Amino acid sequence: MSKTNWELTEADKDRYSRQMRFGAIATPGQTRLKNARVLLCGCGALGTVLANTLVRAGVGFIRLVDRDFVETSNLQRQVLFDEEDAAQGVPKSVAGAKKLNQINSLVTVEPVVAHIDRGNILELAKDVDLILDGTDNFEIRYLINDAAIKLGIPWVHGGCIGSHGQFMTILPGDTPCLRCVFEAAPGPGEAGTCDTAGVLGMTINIIASYQATEAIKILTGKLEAVNRDLVYLDCWENTFRKIKIAPLKGKVDCPCCTHNRFEWLDGEQGAQTTSLCGRNAVQIAHAKPIKLDFELLTKNLAHLGNVSSTRFLLRFSAEDCDFTVFPDGRAIIKGTDEPDRAMALYARFIGH
Amino acid sequence: MSVRVQIPTPLRPSAGDQAIVEVTATKVGDALNHLIEIHPAMGGKLFDNGKLRRFVNIYVNDEDIRYLDMLDTAIKDGDEVAIIPAVAGG
Repeated sequence: MSKTNWELTEADKDRYSRQMRFGAIATPGQTRLKNARVLLCGCGALGTVLANTLVRAGVGFIRLVDRDFVETSNLQRQVLFDEEDAAQGVPKSVAGAKKLNQINSLVTVEPVVAHIDRGNILELAKDVDLILDGTDNFEIRYLINDAAIKLGIPWVHGGCIGSHGQFMTILPGDTPCLRCVFEAAPGPGEAGTCDTAGVLGMTINIIASYQATEAIKILTGKLEAVNRDLVYLDCWENTFRKIKIAPLKGKVDCPCCTHNRFEWLDGEQGAQTTSLCGRNAVQIAHAKPIKLDFELLTKNLAHLGNVSSTRFLLRFSAEDCDFTVFPDGRAIIKGTDEPDRAMALYARFIGH
Repeated sequence: MSVRVQIPTPLRPSAGDQAIVEVTATKVGDALNHLIEIHPAMGGKLFDNGKLRRFVNIYVNDEDIRYLDMLDTAIKDGDEVAIIPAVAGG
């Protein structure tokens, strides 16, 4: 799907010389990386490591999408951010893109501040060669899976909790898809989350580095080197498990890749609220984005005495919860992990 | 037949905080039943109305039972049964 045909410059050859000496990449591989386009979903823990690695490796274009803003508790593992980003509450994709431009000005990073949903994912993905999972929940991963299968774009999944994590590569039409392997995601409270089990920066770096390696193989056209297994590892317990999933292809009756039923894309599955991993917070998003008038909202909430806003977000506190509201009507309500309570608070203070 | 069942971190509180439980069985289903006999709290984690819960994957020696014989998959001495739920965070 690459639309460009750029050759390597002398600056490229100098910068990427060590990587190009690696025989499987060399000049043809590096040239392909320069012309490659990637959609990176999420610029948090996995996302910042992925972006950092791919930008340094010379991937020509990365669209960096994240709905969130930087907080101090991110700094333990989200490698592109610093204390100033947290103090200013900068959107993650904006802070990430700024740092990435300082790291490598020869590549293009396009920051997008948005919640990825069924209304925008096809547009975000339509002109890329690869999609990377830097997200923290299965709701969005099934949506990515739908989009990737529908558009025929490879994607690399990764997930982490505590000291363990997993990754797998999905090549549409070739390997099983995410839904073949995980027919359903655990509901709230049914498995560990970053809330209950925490997460180590080391786990994130390991899983994201494997994902990035898979990405480089795909983007350089080395599909024979792609890992066809589901890998599950625990860096604290020193376990590394390669699970054979290839025989699942065609064996399980997959709604997505066998029957082309895209239930997340079509809105048959997917919620309006999402519990945010490790944050004691709920996000509320509208199926169709609205346009919030921050000036009016600030006025309406003035009695609370704690409203502040930038052009990216508006914040206030009420009922022992901290609200962060975005111009598209999306809100993150911190201080509760109950979607219903969050919905009620949203309706009470923001409306719609 | 003595087989080892690997318990994933999030389910260990329901299995006496153990990472590995030794059970005796010749089929995967029997191995899980024996596990539940030893640690009854695992029952609700693995099964819903007698059916394996959809987000729980079971592997025998790193092969998925869905392309083997599901719960009837034969196991022998020394085999390893792993229970692996999807890892959500990131």
